[in-house]
Amino acid sequence: MKELSLNILDISKNSVKAGATLTQILLDETEEKLTLKIIDDGCGMKKEMVESVTDPFTTTRTTRPVGMGIPLLKLAAEMTDGSFTIESRHFEEYPENHGTEVTAIFNKNHIDFTPLGDVTASVTTLIQGSPNADFLFKHTLPNGEVSVDTRELREQLGDVPLDTFEVILWIEEYLKEQYEALNN
Amino acid sequence: MTVNDLLNVEGFSAVVLAEGEREIEGVYIGDLLSWVMGRAKSGDAWITIMSNVNTIAVATLADTACIILAEDVNLDESVKETAEAKGINVISTPLSSYSAALKLYSTLKV
Repeated sequence: MKELSLNILDISKNSVKAGATLTQILLDETEEKLTLKIIDDGCGMKKEMVESVTDPFTTTRTTRPVGMGIPLLKLAAEMTDGSFTIESRHFEEYPENHGTEVTAIFNKNHIDFTPLGDVTASVTTLIQGSPNADFLFKHTLPNGEVSVDTRELREQLGDVPLDTFEVILWIEEYLKEQYEALNN
Repeated sequence: MTVNDLLNVEGFSAVVLAEGEREIEGVYIGDLLSWVMGRAKSGDAWITIMSNVNTIAVATLADTACIILAEDVNLDESVKETAEAKGINVISTPLSSYSAALKLYSTLKV
């Protein structure tokens, strides 16, 4: 994918599909490194599945024989001499604290580093597509932080669904303003 | 022309020959796998310098006629085994992607 934000969207959708009530998208950026963590409390995967999930010929989809989201994220990280790990706790074995955690570390100064791209668009698309799931997005930069937590929004909004047009527009503006404030 | 015909052209050799009679109907060149995945057409000879297991997966998805690894790019033994298992033709050439495409055009009119 030309931008990491598209990878983020792809992987986070897996979390929602795994029944996650909360998906955390955490970006931690220094001058040299970008660390991406996607942590969900979905159903998790069994050990064999975790081991085979970076294999592009494994997928939960029945429409095609291969699933490319995780393999491509792993490749993108490794192309920058970075790293990729995935840990999962299946609900049958961990009924109280099941879920999956994906970590990809990128060397930002490597020539093959894929730019992050429009992460605001990815986050709003994600919220709009799954208004009943919760998301915590936090992007930590050397000079500050950008974040949105749908649990907090839900508290403020009461019965208004998160995928209401005005709400989505507001979230988009809210994130943009935070990024702009950091750039000034 | 078929993949076997291509192997008769100087500069192209088989790494994995799974289906020699597969017809080559076009050519696609690209190294960004996610990009190629949505754009290479069924029956294309796909010229690339990417030679990991994901390359084989993309060739499976796009149903390309063969992968042509340009500039003598090496294929790991484990990836070779995957290509064999999935029935994916892989061809090697010392030529650059551009020169390989030119040769395909001039000798085979693809």
